[in-house]
Amino acid sequence: MLEVRGVDARYGDAQALWGVDLEVAPAETVCIVGPNGAGKTTLVQTIAGLHRAAAGTITVDGVDIAALPGHRVCDHGVATVPEGRRVFGHMTVRDNLLLGAYRPKARAAHRETEAQVYDLFPRLKERARQHAGSLSGGEQQMLALGRALMALPRLLLLDEPSLGLAPVIVDEVFDAIAAVTATGVGVLLVEQDVERALSAASRGYLLIEGRIAAAGPTADLRDRADVRERVLGM
Amino acid sequence: MTAVQAALSGALIGGLYALMAAGLSVTWGALRVINLAHFGLILVGAYLTYQLTTAWGIDPVLTLLVSAPVLFVAGAALQWAYDRLNIVEFNSLLVSFGLLMITIELTTQVWTADFRHIDAGENPYGTSAVHLGSIALPISRLVALGFAVLLIGGGHLVLERTFAGRGLRAFAQDRTVAASFGIDHRRLGMVVGGLAGVSAAVAGMVFALGNTIAPAHAYEWFGTVFAVVILGGIGNLLGSLFAGLGVGAFSAVVAVLWDPSYEPFVLFLAIILALVLRPKGLFTRRAAA
Repeated sequence: MLEVRGVDARYGDAQALWGVDLEVAPAETVCIVGPNGAGKTTLVQTIAGLHRAAAGTITVDGVDIAALPGHRVCDHGVATVPEGRRVFGHMTVRDNLLLGAYRPKARAAHRETEAQVYDLFPRLKERARQHAGSLSGGEQQMLALGRALMALPRLLLLDEPSLGLAPVIVDEVFDAIAAVTATGVGVLLVEQDVERALSAASRGYLLIEGRIAAAGPTADLRDRADVRERVLGM
Repeated sequence: MTAVQAALSGALIGGLYALMAAGLSVTWGALRVINLAHFGLILVGAYLTYQLTTAWGIDPVLTLLVSAPVLFVAGAALQWAYDRLNIVEFNSLLVSFGLLMITIELTTQVWTADFRHIDAGENPYGTSAVHLGSIALPISRLVALGFAVLLIGGGHLVLERTFAGRGLRAFAQDRTVAASFGIDHRRLGMVVGGLAGVSAAVAGMVFALGNTIAPAHAYEWFGTVFAVVILGGIGNLLGSLFAGLGVGAFSAVVAVLWDPSYEPFVLFLAIILALVLRPKGLFTRRAAA
């Protein structure tokens, strides 16, 4: 479904990504691991259309989205859960969710999707009328995930979903991610908790200094010397 | 009794301040443009109402049929230009002040610096008043309040209840995330700029109903309207309505009970005090960020 081919990304003169290739299939969770500053967030933002690729193609179901402005990418079934959650703190939980269903297709289905999100995260229903800024970190992460699901994505980009959360809450978030994948959504996961990323995903890519250094099933990646050394710190 | 009369008629003037403040507040809060040219649009709106009423002899309120679309286009075009030239916040203060001076100069060229007013014969709202016991409420100001409540209340409902309104609020908080959910900031910005233009047309029309018009008025609106925007909370529509009514009533009471010449002094002292105690405006809910 998602195919990234030869993507470069730059910030001015500094190049952050070098010829990145990767793919994600429907109902598959794929992780990107790598040391800090490897370009993981840049890669997610480039796929999401929030950072323009300097070269290469990014296709979703055969349509090249690499040159589209950021606000058009979601029309191709891509939704993002950004690093640090970035919920709209001054808006209610429900308004945050409905914002996720802004585009016409998602808007037409927003009642059913909203009910599904509340089934997945009952706590969001309890807090529907509260300001998102008053939620705990874990609840905000659920809200960010729910908001992305409201857009009816076929591909979900998750940037550091466990950041700053207690382990129990992280379990809950990852259970939800598994439930989402089971519905046929492809998930691309960037996660600093490498053990967790490798166990949640079926395949993974090792990103080092903006280049894909290794790729394969997560079971194989875990045993590779470079992964153990560069990201697992063993 | 004079104080009550003053407070009521002051609050009614406040309806006009609120109308003037609403457009400024929304573009500032949502688009981060401090658009001083908004005062120029209000001025043009007032002159359009004057001109069309005088030339065609139609009801002043009906002139909105022309002035609202004209100023919608002007407001949208302004926002388009600010966006293309990447003008936000403090740059916008400077650029839009320049635009305001140009607008004032142009209106002076067309209508001269003389005071203009809609002829009593063409202005059914100009001189009559509603009497509540001994209190007289001028019709023109009741119209101002009516439009303020209608426009601001409607705008508030749109912001709170519609997808477009949510999109705008989200955009005001985090442009990048809003964009990732499909919010096109250029298009939304132009629509908001255009609607601010419509509010300027209404404010100008209402001003022309009860006042004489001269280009220099645009400068006089500055202080009070800015105060209303900030007291109401930047981007908070209902806040600007309440702040407008409050500021209007407060200034009128000070003028009557004390001395009209103390009015600006007392008003701005009170505003400074209010902002020290409530830095985000009087009507902002204290939500966690």
